[in-house]
Amino acid sequence: MLHKLLVIFFLASQLIFTPLVTAETDSSEQISRVKALLNEVDDLWRGNSSYAITSMQVKTENYTRTMRMEGWSKGKEHTLFRIIEPLREKGTATLKSGSHIYTYLPKTDRTIKLSSGMMMSSWMGSHLTNDDLVKEARLEDDYEAAISFEGERDGQNIIEFTLIPKLDAAVVWGKVTLTILAVSHTPVVEYYFDEDMLLTRTISFTDIKMLGGRERPSVLRVVPADKPDEYTEFVYEQLKFDLELKDRLFSLSNLKKR
Amino acid sequence: MRNKHHSLVTVLAMAFACAMMIVFSSLMEGFVVGSELNIVSMNTGDMQIHQPSYRDDPDIYKQIKQSLTLVTAIRQAGFKASERLFAYGLMASDQSSSGVQLRGIDLQYETSVTDIDQHIQIGKWLEKSDPHGVVIGKKLARLLDVSIGSELIFVGQTADGYMANDRFHINGILKSVSSAIDNTGVIMSNVMLQDLISLPDGAHEITIMRTDRRTDLALAVAKIDDLVADDLEILNWQQLMPVISQFLETAQIQTLIMLLFTYIAVASVVLNAMLMSVFERIHQFGIMKALGVRPWQLIRIIYTETFIQTLIASLLGLFIGAGITWYFEKNGLDLSSMSDGFSFAGLALDPVWYAALSVKSLFIPVVFLFVIAALAVLYPATKAAVIRPVDAINHH
Repeated sequence: MLHKLLVIFFLASQLIFTPLVTAETDSSEQISRVKALLNEVDDLWRGNSSYAITSMQVKTENYTRTMRMEGWSKGKEHTLFRIIEPLREKGTATLKSGSHIYTYLPKTDRTIKLSSGMMMSSWMGSHLTNDDLVKEARLEDDYEAAISFEGERDGQNIIEFTLIPKLDAAVVWGKVTLTILAVSHTPVVEYYFDEDMLLTRTISFTDIKMLGGRERPSVLRVVPADKPDEYTEFVYEQLKFDLELKDRLFSLSNLKKR
Repeated sequence: MRNKHHSLVTVLAMAFACAMMIVFSSLMEGFVVGSELNIVSMNTGDMQIHQPSYRDDPDIYKQIKQSLTLVTAIRQAGFKASERLFAYGLMASDQSSSGVQLRGIDLQYETSVTDIDQHIQIGKWLEKSDPHGVVIGKKLARLLDVSIGSELIFVGQTADGYMANDRFHINGILKSVSSAIDNTGVIMSNVMLQDLISLPDGAHEITIMRTDRRTDLALAVAKIDDLVADDLEILNWQQLMPVISQFLETAQIQTLIMLLFTYIAVASVVLNAMLMSVFERIHQFGIMKALGVRPWQLIRIIYTETFIQTLIASLLGLFIGAGITWYFEKNGLDLSSMSDGFSFAGLALDPVWYAALSVKSLFIPVVFLFVIAALAVLYPATKAAVIRPVDAINHH
């Protein structure tokens, strides 16, 4: 998810992999179409590496806070985030390497590895969990995808995909639906349902503007279903793709650099 | 007249049975007392005050408003009371990390409501001069692979949404308290915790203890309830730990049932010994009767004899039983080779099982022994008293 927040297009790219995998074993017409469509989206959004400056605003019943951070990603395995503002937390860094998450804390000058028990707790006080950060790279293996709606909805021509976790997948969701614009294949909204098929959170993508040489949504807002007045919002200020990034950037020793 | 060997066997059998009953009931008593003690004097106290929804959802914002005023009023009403503050987060050592519950306690008053400061396995209790020195649960210490002096890094969230982060070191490691404290408990001063999570004042929990634990708990709860605002919840330890409280109640019944079986076994041993000692001398009693001894005199003789035997046996049994129990009270029955601690519904038990020597566990077996001996000898004594001398003399 961290990945996703940084580079929205990866969200779409996850979906591409799902039909690719299923389509190989099933040649029905509908699945081929899903494959073709999502392939197209994939080509449109894919990048090998990225750099972004993002601001995150978290609003809860008890506090509202904003922070700015910069982040790098390479492939699906490596992501690095570093907080720029506020001063109180400047230099705090999160590294995702494979399925592990490390956090560097400038106040105590220590790097810690998050335990599996901490995966369901909040990441940086936001409405996302550490598990969201790790799970993202595995979505392609975990879901079966199908087009569940196509046509006009709320005045927009859209395509809606429904993702159902595979039986053996270690996924906390019961279902995920993703809506993209039919023409540009830009994500519009994503709904996450729990195992009882009740809505747990909504991620919406808005404010389309030029980012990384292409029009993309620049605002991503996560709203928990049980607390509709709360949200976590990510705003992309800068986004660049396909940079030459060395693996060393994603090393534990680099985590400390400010 | 009496067979010395048989008398000795009878006395020893009764003494052994008596000793076993003492040891057994002391161990069971020790289990119940120890469990209750663990719960009440290590953690819950007699009763606690919370925000009503706090226990289901321990949110750091669900504080007891004006807790200082309340806790002062409770102390003035003649109770011992202390405030606690809780927070959750991640504690990391060099080796690994784990989710923890930070327990901020009032250094001045916590030890007046609980004995947790006496329950340190290694190291020492918190010190006011060293706010970053913490005391942690034993399983957490093993999980983090840390010992006294090891550094710990806490990462969590402050009340205003920022990152809470600080460095601590381990002052002490607790013995088994409860599964929650053993697995996730990190104890520090509430002042330190307030600073760490930027929560200026207030408490999540007020723990209260009666000054005299023999007074009625329900009455004490009612008294405190008058001081507490309606929007707060006050619960006694049985309500706080319903599963364990029920379990301990059934444990007492279980003890009774187990003791009953032991007593039946003992009774049959005593009965057998008594029957033997009377019937082997039945022809002698027959001669005594023929010489003019009256039946009630004979019964008196047999009863006196039994009384003396039982007295010797019970003294011997008391001595042996109390000795073994005393040993288990001091050293405990070490079950650590089987398991490194038992846990049931949040109640953690030390792998070392301590017996509790009480007047009850000492004297019930003794009284019981006398009752059994008296009943057991009733039949042979009556038989000897009423038998015709001729039959008795010919009895073999």
